[in-house]
Amino acid sequence: MFAYIMRRLAVAVPTLLLLIVISFVLMHLAPGGPFSQERELPARVLANLNAKYGLDEPLWRQIVNYVYSIVIHFDFGPSFVYPDRTVNELLADGFPVTLTYGSLAFLAAVLVGVGLGVVAAIRHNSWLDYLAVGISIGAQVLPNFVMAPILVLFFTLTWRILPGGGWSFSDPSFWIMPVIALATSYMASIARITRSSMLEVLGSNHIRTARAKGMPEHRVILRHALKPAMLPVISYLGPVFVSMITGSVVIDIYFSTGGIGKAFVESALNRDYAVMMGVTILIGALTILFNLVVDILYAWIDPKIRY
Amino acid sequence: MALLDINDLSVSFRTNDGVVQAVNNVSLSVDQGETLGVVGESGSGKSQLSFAIMGLLARNGQATGSVRFDGQEILNAPPKILNRIRAEKIAMIFQDPMTSLNPYMRVSDQMAEVLTLHKGMSRSKAVTESVRMLDAVKIPDAKGRVRLYPHEFSGGMRQRVMIAMALLCRPSLLIADEPTTALDVTVQAQIMTLLAELRREFGMAMILITHDLGVVAGSCERVAVMYGGRIRETGPVGPLFEAPAHPYTQGLLGAIPRIDQEGDELSAIPGSPPNMTRPPAGCAFEPRCPYRREDCACQRPMLDAFAPARARACFAPLDDVLQRRLPQAQTTMQGGQP
Repeated sequence: MFAYIMRRLAVAVPTLLLLIVISFVLMHLAPGGPFSQERELPARVLANLNAKYGLDEPLWRQIVNYVYSIVIHFDFGPSFVYPDRTVNELLADGFPVTLTYGSLAFLAAVLVGVGLGVVAAIRHNSWLDYLAVGISIGAQVLPNFVMAPILVLFFTLTWRILPGGGWSFSDPSFWIMPVIALATSYMASIARITRSSMLEVLGSNHIRTARAKGMPEHRVILRHALKPAMLPVISYLGPVFVSMITGSVVIDIYFSTGGIGKAFVESALNRDYAVMMGVTILIGALTILFNLVVDILYAWIDPKIRY
Repeated sequence: MALLDINDLSVSFRTNDGVVQAVNNVSLSVDQGETLGVVGESGSGKSQLSFAIMGLLARNGQATGSVRFDGQEILNAPPKILNRIRAEKIAMIFQDPMTSLNPYMRVSDQMAEVLTLHKGMSRSKAVTESVRMLDAVKIPDAKGRVRLYPHEFSGGMRQRVMIAMALLCRPSLLIADEPTTALDVTVQAQIMTLLAELRREFGMAMILITHDLGVVAGSCERVAVMYGGRIRETGPVGPLFEAPAHPYTQGLLGAIPRIDQEGDELSAIPGSPPNMTRPPAGCAFEPRCPYRREDCACQRPMLDAFAPARARACFAPLDDVLQRRLPQAQTTMQGGQP
């Protein structure tokens, strides 16, 4: 197991390198650059700017320099658009925000989603099942950009109990709406996957054996059905967790939370090469890490899986 | 008083294609220590009969009638009552040992939970007892293997684990639903021998559900032959096998390949079993029956006693069936074709 984890982490290095090269090339292939404006800058100014940021060098040199400064100094470079900020600073400011509301939303989505799914499955075809399925379909058709204004309408404008935007680490009332808006549709998907997987497990032979042992139904479900029913849910949760903790542009813009979701989209629009690369690498590294976590969880649940 | 008394038991399933009548008006009884074989082909309702006894029908299934165990009604009983009987009084082993054990739990945990649940044992004591039972079903190195997961056992060994698990509470009735179907022939014989030994040792009654007549002949005292969800013939194994009184029983026995007889062709019963969403009005075996008469298709034969401890459900004259005299009507009909 330990050797397997080490091996996977070793493979992660070339994977990340490949990710860097591909996104770097794609980024430079896109028309325009960080300094293109409607009124073009004088040629000499542009040449100076390019020289300052190293954009006059051949692409392969730029990549090598970029990777070098990351590996040696853990420096993701300066922002091309906000001259006084470095990418490290931007990420250090924005990531804790998205990490906070993202992991809370993840927790809420998993708890409510799994709960709804399990209840629906064990009360299959009853009114509870229909209610749970109804809630999850309702939540599914409410994407965050619809959820957010609805929440603001009620909690801020009508009842005046929650701040309509902004962020504070010390005041959880700022967290509530971003968490709900982000969690809703994920919760719905988790509920549907849990329900169908639980239904399948409950129909399997070993559950019949467990019932034949004279165990009360709740023990059959908790001891025998829940673990295998979680397998498909877990493989869905790995990538979902990454995309939730790296935030959502809709949430960041709508609630002015200042997370990296907004920074990512803005950097793409502004051709802020350094910021774009920084966020890409962050998301890529997290994705590799949590895919590994999913695989480890799989081995923990299913004894037939051994690496 | 019989240990298990099944009276007029019917099982039906609501499906998208309509209601399926899996078991119809079955009455059976099993005495203390007795072994009853229930024989029939796939879809004859024999497995559903056993699930109904244990209250393990699928959610869309419904059972009517009566099942009394030790005088207590257990059909459609509340879970509390059923859970005191399951494993403790009536235990069950299933057809497919590959999937019937929980693949995600160690054998020790799966077995010990039966004892902690029913006998209130501590976990460590329950594991010790489980190891003793694994020894009893002749699993080598039981002490070491109890820590393994089911996939680390072979098919035959897994069925031994299932048997050991079923016997933990010393039940007075064991229902074995095709215990050897998924196993290869040599392992089958070992498992059946083991079951017979354990049955004697523990003084258990057993219902053996199978399509394998050889297995029944080797291990049962009484046998009930099922077809289309109904019992067609019952009787003690010896007389029933020697002189089958129902055309279906006869067909089943005739379909067994004999090693001591020459011939290349295997005999089979022509046709296929009835569609139980639309059960026939008459005898379900009529379309495949060599003895069929005109009224067979519209009237349903009832189970009638014709000799001590023997009964059959058939309109064809007993002597004709016993002496294998096919009715005239059929031969003339065939002769009449141009």
